[in-house]
Amino acid sequence: MNYYDVIIIGGGITGTAIAHELSKYKLTVALLERGSDIGIGATKGNGGVVHPGYDPTPGSLKAKINVCGANRYPQLARDLNFGIINPGIFVIGFSDADEAMLKHKLEFGIKNGVKDLAIIDAGQMRNREPQLATTARHALYAPTATVVDPFEVAIAFAENAKANGVEILTSQPVTAIKKRTDGNFLLNTPDQQFTCTYIVNAAGNHADDVARLAGIAEYQMKPRHGDLLVLDKDMVNKPKTVMFPCPGPDTKGIACIPTVHGNTIVGSTATMLDDKEAVNNYAPGIQALIDGVHKILPELDAAKIIRTFAGLRPVVLDNNNDFYIAESPTVKGFIHAAGIQSPGVASAPAIAELVRDLLDNAGLEMVPKADYNPYREKLTVFTELSLAEQDALINEHPAYGRIVCRCETVTEGEIIAAIHGAIPAHTLDAIKRRTRAGMGRCQGGFCQYKVIAILARELGLSADAICLEDAGSQLLCGAVKGGAK
Amino acid sequence: MKQLDYDVVVIGGGPAGMAAALKANEKGATVAIIERNDELGGILNQCIHSGFGLSYFKQELTGPEYAELFINRVKDSDIDVYLNTMVIDLAPDHRITAVNQDGMLVLAAGAIVLAMGCRERTRGAIKIPGSRPAGVLTAGLAQRYVNIENRKPGERIVILGSGDIGLIMARRLTLEGMQVLGVYELMPYANGLYRNIKNCLDDFDIPLHLSTTVTNIIGYPHLEAVEVAKVDENFAVIDETREVIACDTLLLSIGLIPENELSQNSGVSLNPRTNGPLVDEELATDQPGIFACGNVLHVHDLVDNVTLEAEQAGTAAAVYALEQKAAVSENRPAENKATITISPGENVGYTVPAKLTIPPQKPIRILFRVRTPLDQAAVVIHTGTEIFYQGKVQAYKPSVMEAVALHPEELNRLNESDEPITVSVREVKK
Ligand SMILES: Cc1cc2nc3c(=O)[nH]c(=O)nc-3n(C[C@H](O)[C@H](O)[C@H](O)COP(=O)(O)OP(=O)(O)OC[C@H]3O[C@@H](n4cnc5c(N)ncnc54)[C@H](O)[C@@H]3O)c2cc1C
Ligand SMILES: Cc1cc2nc3c(=O)[nH]c(=O)nc-3n(C[C@H](O)[C@H](O)[C@H](O)COP(=O)(O)OP(=O)(O)OC[C@H]3O[C@@H](n4cnc5c(N)ncnc54)[C@H](O)[C@@H]3O)c2cc1C
Repeated sequence: MNYYDVIIIGGGITGTAIAHELSKYKLTVALLERGSDIGIGATKGNGGVVHPGYDPTPGSLKAKINVCGANRYPQLARDLNFGIINPGIFVIGFSDADEAMLKHKLEFGIKNGVKDLAIIDAGQMRNREPQLATTARHALYAPTATVVDPFEVAIAFAENAKANGVEILTSQPVTAIKKRTDGNFLLNTPDQQFTCTYIVNAAGNHADDVARLAGIAEYQMKPRHGDLLVLDKDMVNKPKTVMFPCPGPDTKGIACIPTVHGNTIVGSTATMLDDKEAVNNYAPGIQALIDGVHKILPELDAAKIIRTFAGLRPVVLDNNNDFYIAESPTVKGFIHAAGIQSPGVASAPAIAELVRDLLDNAGLEMVPKADYNPYREKLTVFTELSLAEQDALINEHPAYGRIVCRCETVTEGEIIAAIHGAIPAHTLDAIKRRTRAGMGRCQGGFCQYKVIAILARELGLSADAICLEDAGSQLLCGAVKGGAK
Repeated sequence: MKQLDYDVVVIGGGPAGMAAALKANEKGATVAIIERNDELGGILNQCIHSGFGLSYFKQELTGPEYAELFINRVKDSDIDVYLNTMVIDLAPDHRITAVNQDGMLVLAAGAIVLAMGCRERTRGAIKIPGSRPAGVLTAGLAQRYVNIENRKPGERIVILGSGDIGLIMARRLTLEGMQVLGVYELMPYANGLYRNIKNCLDDFDIPLHLSTTVTNIIGYPHLEAVEVAKVDENFAVIDETREVIACDTLLLSIGLIPENELSQNSGVSLNPRTNGPLVDEELATDQPGIFACGNVLHVHDLVDNVTLEAEQAGTAAAVYALEQKAAVSENRPAENKATITISPGENVGYTVPAKLTIPPQKPIRILFRVRTPLDQAAVVIHTGTEIFYQGKVQAYKPSVMEAVALHPEELNRLNESDEPITVSVREVKK
């Protein structure tokens, strides 16, 4: 039977960051993800802001972890070769009451150890953001804040973990967990069995369900839903800074967020839901986003919206909006990395370190690997090459001379590489996340059929078998009666 | 890396690109067409229905047949055609960067014709709420799947939007054995051509629901149903009319947007009303030597009009390129043209051209579309102070592109003033 020292359940940013951290040690580790790809839970439905850590209450678990996690990002981005930008954050005040709140945040930030925070005035803000609403009076400025592409980070963590020996298994939903008399766990998925000594529960919105499989009922979870919008790269007067309004009690407010790839994201609303699968967009939420961003950028052109999406923040109830990261007091060896609501992306690297320490305390021997490789090569990105490099690449591999996605200039070569990558991409959305094919303004209208054909050819499947994302999301359903060709 | 040099380079090998290239070539220019697909013909290749060429060829052709006639003419000419080659950058100095499987190409051009066509508006653009499952796609993509890839997108189809592509697809999918449950249109009138409503919906008993829209997308991982509802005259959803319709496919036929990313790279200014370049009566953009025609300039419903427009752009591009060459060799300074603006007035959505060189030398054609249907109205072309053209009373529809031809004599008065001119369509009381 497949034995591992540690099994991580859940391949979001939390689980993959933990896999990456544990891959530095002489351990046998597997990560089991229920979805067809990693990073398709909350990790694909968020704003990607690496919050520097002025929000959490000083002294909370979140405060410590958020700041430490955010500080790790620049080095991780270099080692793991993922995109990162440093736009900084304005938290904008419109009134005297807001100014008091900003001072409060400044104080929190300083206590939490966030660097270079300052309160700036309208003139300083407008120097950087000339389109800013004239009602904006002052802002808390966090110049160190960065933005990443969260699923790219999860893929990078997972690929590097895999290169260092962690097994990353997708389409493996854990359906049963038993603690055996020898102290080890027995895990079932629909088609496999695994045993392990330690379990790390990083199952996002389903962490309570997974815990319950092991007989643990320490907490209950509900999702906090958020709508988001993506705006076209070609929008004029794009914001350069992440801009939040002064926050409300439960949310950080509606922000505009420059992305790694030159788009602008507007996000997010925050509504508690009961349904953990309801990753829908809601009309009032979309309107709230447009209204909200117009308070900051009154001129922002809503006609530049190319996509709406949504995510569910995994919230552990009655936990002061904090993360729940601890070994179960009742089932030894079962570690929770649960309730990773915002800022889970920012915090992931530090959550992983904390989980490592919890495993260490729980008796797992942590011996660093001598041959650990901290670096990851990313897939070739055609548009990042010089003309001469592009030419040379095509001469070697003509598939790089065939443009598939015209909006984002993605070549067939890149798509083939993603299909056969370290964590292979077998669905349309998996390819989109790795190569950006279909991410642009036509949203796949021109390239979807080409990507399906390439996938079908490379995987030896019929085009009708190709899925958008989860099982059951086939895009085509058989041949036409026989009219054309 | 290949370096090439032409008098005129045409970007896009659809009907617009081919007609422009042929005319430019006829005028004596050396010409190249760059086309990213594996054949010339553009969107016509997937329009296997008939209805093309009625005015240009005086016969009814299918899309591929119409394209074929031009493809043969291009083959017979000495135009260089680069297929499977995509232009990825266009610099203001006319330097074109393109890519194909033999490597990178850099082309220098005396003049450039933009003929890249358009793309479809997507679900994101109209922000339909709901889940994000498989089974929601644009009508043009469905057309590609059915007509060229030979695959069905689903079995039970709802179509949102009454644009021509949606109407044509309603018929096509029905003929291929799929069930088209209905076409839903937000506006109180259809957006497609009258003949398409008749031939594609009425003849197949497919219901058209006006003032109705899709308010929710239901089902995951695959579409299971849509919720539709009527809207009032302010487009607000009327709650009690909400209705859930089980279906596995939602086709979107909600508009086309000219494909101008390259144009913008080159510094060409766009007309916010068309999303295409701002052009003068020669179809010249505001970047010297860059011309535009076809769907990249404004969305056309009839390919015949595309061809006529493109011939004009191709001619102008060749004249420009050859004149520039001569001017350089004779050391002549470039001329400065004075222009006035042409703007859409009452009931008019846009005009092409949007500016006019004065004094006018040649007859000009002004194309425009009305914003709402008008039963009895007349086009009026005027300055702030005087009317100098008045058309006949007729019915107007947003789905039909209209044209007015003006002769230099009619425009003579413009010589004296540089007042902007306005195109209005005024209702005439019965
Ligand atoms: C609208 C919105 C905006 C946000 N903005 C930000 C932001 O700007 N910055 C920031 O830092 N954070 C942000 N967040 C928070 C961030 O997205 C989350 O904290 C983070 O993605 C949580 O990651 P996770 O890995 O814990 O959960 P997930 O990404 O949900 O991963 C959990 C995984 O577990 C898998 N799983 C579940 N059950 C099983 C099972 N039985 N067996 C196997 N696998 C299972 C799921 O398929 C899933 O892939 C935002 C969140 C939302 C919703
Ligand atoms: C579904 C549908 C039904 C229609 N029905 C009718 C009808 O019944 N009767 C009628 O008369 N008209 C009809 N039309 C209208 C008419 O066919 C179109 O208006 C016409 O094809 C537009 O021509 P075009 O050359 O401007 O654009 P396209 O045909 O779109 O050609 C543009 C070409 O440019 C290429 N291109 C774009 N960017 C680049 C780049 N960067 N590098 C290289 N190449 C590039 C594209 O690949 C494409 O081949 C229909 C149109 C559609 C879409």
